[in-house]
Amino acid sequence: MNHGQQSGEAKHEDDPALTEFLGSLMDYTPTIPDDLVEHYLAKSGFQCPDVRLIRLVSVATQKFVADVASDALQHCKARPAPVVKEKKQQKDKRLILTMEDLSKALREYGVNVKHPEYFADSPSTGIDPATREE
Amino acid sequence: MTYGDGEGGSQRRGSQRGSNDFAYALARMAVAQICEGVEISTLQDSHSREGARFSSFQESALERLTDVVIQYIQSVGKTTQFYANMAGRGEGNALDVVQALEDLGAGLGFNGAHDVERCLGDSGVVKDIVRYTGEAEEVPFVYSLPRFPFKKGKRRAPSFSGIGGEMADEHIPVWLPAFPETKSKEVEETNTEKVGEVKSKENGLSLPSMQQSLDVDRLKVQKSMEQEDVQEPGEEPEGNPFLAAPVWVREKDVPRVFCPSEPKNEEDSIGHVPEKQKNIPPLEAHAPPGMINDESRLGGTEDGQKTQRALLRFKIGTRKASMCWTIKQSLEDKETRGRRRWNAKRNSKPLTQM
Repeated sequence: MNHGQQSGEAKHEDDPALTEFLGSLMDYTPTIPDDLVEHYLAKSGFQCPDVRLIRLVSVATQKFVADVASDALQHCKARPAPVVKEKKQQKDKRLILTMEDLSKALREYGVNVKHPEYFADSPSTGIDPATREE
Repeated sequence: MTYGDGEGGSQRRGSQRGSNDFAYALARMAVAQICEGVEISTLQDSHSREGARFSSFQESALERLTDVVIQYIQSVGKTTQFYANMAGRGEGNALDVVQALEDLGAGLGFNGAHDVERCLGDSGVVKDIVRYTGEAEEVPFVYSLPRFPFKKGKRRAPSFSGIGGEMADEHIPVWLPAFPETKSKEVEETNTEKVGEVKSKENGLSLPSMQQSLDVDRLKVQKSMEQEDVQEPGEEPEGNPFLAAPVWVREKDVPRVFCPSEPKNEEDSIGHVPEKQKNIPPLEAHAPPGMINDESRLGGTEDGQKTQRALLRFKIGTRKASMCWTIKQSLEDKETRGRRRWNAKRNSKPLTQM
């Protein structure tokens, strides 16, 4: 209640969002199991007996994955359909998470997962993608 | 600590995955579940909202995403610990986690990032997460996990009191683990099987035979040898072994073994008994490794009767050794034959010359 004022950092009249969230976190079950997150956190040096913190990390990770997936989905939808026929329109509805979309989505987050192209794919292989017209 | 680590991490993926197969598989499933639940609503001309979802994945894409997610979790952990250590604490707390999330989210930005004196409790990152949990559907993990990591319970040897046997030995406390059962039935088998196997059974026999060796006023070296001659293997818990009657060795007919002369430098390493010396070196040369280890323990016995037991043991090995000796003998015979021929030739030559 008053711990924000007591800390002297800033004055809050109500609970910080974090406190409320931590309290409500036990009701929400993240998709990533707690044990798994705890294992990876322990692997990198962070060992915490408090389950709520682990759930906080797992929810944050889930949000991250969801953001990346939604960006990839948007890229996938934004790509024009290769063949426009009535018979094949069903294919357009089937969206597949491909490496291309994923690499574009992760690019914004600073993760570079572009795999190198095959040598004989095209004459412009290996040229800087900025100068190359796709 | 930034997302750039994802690239470096992927290079170590091979070794990572090798040791963390189970965790990796779980992470993959969880990521797939999350992706499955991602939906973007599109507003079409007909004003009907259509939720587009992923229907399937490219396997390599899923694996990359799983790698990135694992790296993300590890980065959060590392950064959290870093901030905790910076503040002089050993364990991270909620504010450290929020700071770590802010660090990782700095690439995309969050509300309030510009504010230097922002409060961590009201951080934009937290609010984003709160909003996410409010909007997204709650999808629990598909499988129920066993306790992770899985620890095997070690089966402890029962104590004397656990077994229920009354110990007449006052010097042995009841809470100590009980003596293992002696395997008397396998004594006869050891005579016919390889000597190497006896070594594995010795773990169960060491204590009783060691005890019996203390009975007698002689140096008993080989524990497996005890089984062959002593026919009372399971009597240690009864009576004080120090006061038991000494066990006499029965003499058995052992075929005399032909021992070629041996170099003297092996005396020190093996034993002081001349008979043994003759037996051991050729066996060392030709016997399987298990036998060699057993023989090395024979060194040190000085009792003449022990040598008879040694001969007993070597009977097992002598089969193989005798083969080699027969080869040696045959070689020697050939040699002698050759010499004889040569001598005959030599002898005959003067005759012819003459």
